[in-house]
Amino acid sequence: MKTVKFTLAGIAALMVSGCTYNSSSTATGHIWEINPEDNTVDRNIGRSNHLSDLQAGIWVDPHGCDHWMIDDGIEGYMSARLDPYGNPVCSGIAPPTVAVGRFRRGT
Amino acid sequence: MALLALAVGAPSAEAQRQRTIVGERYVPTIWVDPDGCEHWVIDNGAEGYMTPNRTRDGRPVCHRANTCLVESADTLFATGSHHLRPGARERLSQFFRTSGSSAFVIYGHTDPRGGFEYNMRLSENRARTVANVAIQSGGYVSAVRGFGPMHPVASNNTAAGMAQNRRVEILCVR
Repeated sequence: MKTVKFTLAGIAALMVSGCTYNSSSTATGHIWEINPEDNTVDRNIGRSNHLSDLQAGIWVDPHGCDHWMIDDGIEGYMSARLDPYGNPVCSGIAPPTVAVGRFRRGT
Repeated sequence: MALLALAVGAPSAEAQRQRTIVGERYVPTIWVDPDGCEHWVIDNGAEGYMTPNRTRDGRPVCHRANTCLVESADTLFATGSHHLRPGARERLSQFFRTSGSSAFVIYGHTDPRGGFEYNMRLSENRARTVANVAIQSGGYVSAVRGFGPMHPVASNNTAAGMAQNRRVEILCVR
């Protein structure tokens, strides 16, 4: 199902490229072919939930460093916890490979 | 989820530089983590993706900093020294005991005078000195680092600016 969707999107993009974008391109420029779908909102079960409502937990990686972990019930998200200089935060909140906190909601 | 990249074959050299990139647009939303830092979020309907929002120099985009103490290096240490002045240990210890943080990150900074290597070493040693006080006061120190003159907060063209840059930063991790 998903494969079909992406294949169709790809074909559609190719078709669009054939007739529209190429004509306006310059010799040195890139030609960006874009699927105009909005990918920022969860469209799955008719809920438009935003992550800002969600609780983040922390997963500790094998180095002992923290990652934010969110589960909105459908998707899981993970992203590094960084200090203001961009270094990983390794708070020691839990042993490596352990997740803590209320990251699971809706499941 | 395969993306196709096609090179447009054309006779002229100029045309050969053209590239056709077939992709899908993913306009991210932003999630702000409990520390106040931004992350890019993409949800394509089936999967969700997330990665930190960083500027090109690698620093995360944050709405606030978890810096809970910036100590002037001049009040803690004599010039060029990493041994605490009298009374400084007690004051720092009091701070670490009452902060209520689960971990501390300690960064040392200098002005640029005296050379890069010298200042990297000095700031590292000073940060370690402060970290030792934290540990002796029962704190957990998760990182200690000297940045030397790399991250000034004020101009190094004035004496007052340089004094501001000579500092030990303590980040409180909760």
